Amino acid sequence: MEIWSLITNILLWFGLYVIVSLSLNVEYGYCGIPNFGKALSVIVGAVVAGGLMTRILMVAMGVHGDIITGSSAVSGEVTTLVKSNPLYGIVLFLVYIILALIIGAVVGAVFILPSARLKEDYLAITLLAIAETFTMVCYYNPVIVGSYYGVSVPNLFAFIPASVRYQTIVGIILITAFVVYIVLERIVESPYGRLLRGVRENEDVMKAYGRNVMNIRIKTMALGSGIAAIAGVLLTFYTLRVQPDSFMNYGRTFWTFFPFLIILLGGAGNNRGVVLGSLIFATLWELVDFYKDNIVSALHLPVEAVWLEYILFGVLMLLILFYKPEGLIPEKPIVTEPIKRKKS
Amino acid sequence: MIVLETQNLSKFFDGLRALDGVNVKVKKKTITLIIGPNGSGKSTLINVISGFYKATSGRVIFEGEDITNKPPYEIYELGIVRTFQTPQPLKKLTVLENLLIAERHVGEGVLSALRHSKWLKHEEELVEKAFKILEFLKIDHLWDRESYKLSGGQLKLVEIGRALMTNPKLIIMDEPIAGVAPALAHDILSRLTELKERGVTFLIVEHRLDIILKYVDYVYAMANGKVIAEGLGEEIVKNPKVIEVYLGATH
Repeated sequence: MEIWSLITNILLWFGLYVIVSLSLNVEYGYCGIPNFGKALSVIVGAVVAGGLMTRILMVAMGVHGDIITGSSAVSGEVTTLVKSNPLYGIVLFLVYIILALIIGAVVGAVFILPSARLKEDYLAITLLAIAETFTMVCYYNPVIVGSYYGVSVPNLFAFIPASVRYQTIVGIILITAFVVYIVLERIVESPYGRLLRGVRENEDVMKAYGRNVMNIRIKTMALGSGIAAIAGVLLTFYTLRVQPDSFMNYGRTFWTFFPFLIILLGGAGNNRGVVLGSLIFATLWELVDFYKDNIVSALHLPVEAVWLEYILFGVLMLLILFYKPEGLIPEKPIVTEPIKRKKS
Repeated sequence: MIVLETQNLSKFFDGLRALDGVNVKVKKKTITLIIGPNGSGKSTLINVISGFYKATSGRVIFEGEDITNKPPYEIYELGIVRTFQTPQPLKKLTVLENLLIAERHVGEGVLSALRHSKWLKHEEELVEKAFKILEFLKIDHLWDRESYKLSGGQLKLVEIGRALMTNPKLIIMDEPIAGVAPALAHDILSRLTELKERGVTFLIVEHRLDIILKYVDYVYAMANGKVIAEGLGEEIVKNPKVIEVYLGATH
């Protein structure tokens, strides 16, 4: 049975990384925004689920008190409700997702507002700093998502037998990832994708040709952040908890560094490459995680097993940058229907 | 008819007077040339007119409208397009894409991009137009080549092609034939003349007087941020002031 849990885990991370990396690919791969604060939008998704939705449900159900105790009460009630009527669960699920998309988009736009005019390096530093600040505020302020204690998230799929709960969530994540892929591919295989690549290649030319570059960056960040926030919500449905200390411990590695690694591995500016990169990354990650104690002891490595995957992925990043900077599937020109006809 | 006019236009960088009360007039359907030694303020003038730099004082008038210090994208709206001193290709984009990007596209919003039926017709028109321009410039065989693979002369042509895509009223060019082989330079300039006859106005900064002089209608000579002489091509090269600051070194 261990092999099945390994495969489920690979698919879980594959799905989540497809969503987050594709959203980063629109921002970085296409538009050239070095979003070193990518983790922020995933965290916003978790905060929408654990903070905002919990409060809305507390009001709707007449639950009083702080968010930490309130969230357990709400989770209990919603879980009972959903067990008796699955429709509530499905509707609530859609509300969570749509709210995350909207709030994620707004936060993304506001997030880049102070720095959209800046050149690449400064933009990257500013985005990183804002994301770190937000993470710390979430961690230290108990009002947002319960600080150290965290909050519970209701099990919206309580009507499904507990034995297949994980598999169901993973299935939902994969379906969402597929939808995100289809939608984003349609959005970028268009004059919009061409425009983004133009902005990435040369901001001044795009200005000379009548484009408001700041505006384009803000809209692109809204799109990317909204989509990444969906991944944040989906993750809380898997864990059924929101723990702000995990934002601090894992946020920037899991949701900024790894998505960049995936994009560079698969091919920046190419959505297929990013999907391939996500699959390779999730598989390697789970395999190394699974066998790391064996690897460390078999090879007599002078490191603690817990750090093995971080070391390996750091090395992998350097190797890609040295030997395959364009990634496994390099970027291709955007070929719309009329261009395709010219080609033939 | 005067299309573009600058009135006492000045641009100071801290203490440096890059432009110092410049008055230039560009007539419709002409090629107006600006010459001057390095650092005389020619490129600064172009940058201020096209909105890339803010003027310290003075005004820029285009078709009777004050456009001083408008952002570049608003100036573009009015029908002014510029090229850069060093070609600025969108490197990873193909030659065709470099042209397609020039005109604003109905399908370039996040949501409109999703509805392919909405922009396919416009895309088709643009592709047709781009191919016509590429044929006119004789670079249509390069259409699907990424622009970083092109030679310097070809890049200049792509740059001109991109400017033509927008049906501009005024094209401002910063050294369009610098570094281009003489034969191709004559070719480019005769194409510009052809466009001029169709109604496009040009304001050009260029050093290579030997080639360009016979194509231009009017010349301004600049030095130290000021216009020191103006007139027809033959007159300017004989002007003692111009010879002293600019031509003196070569003659």
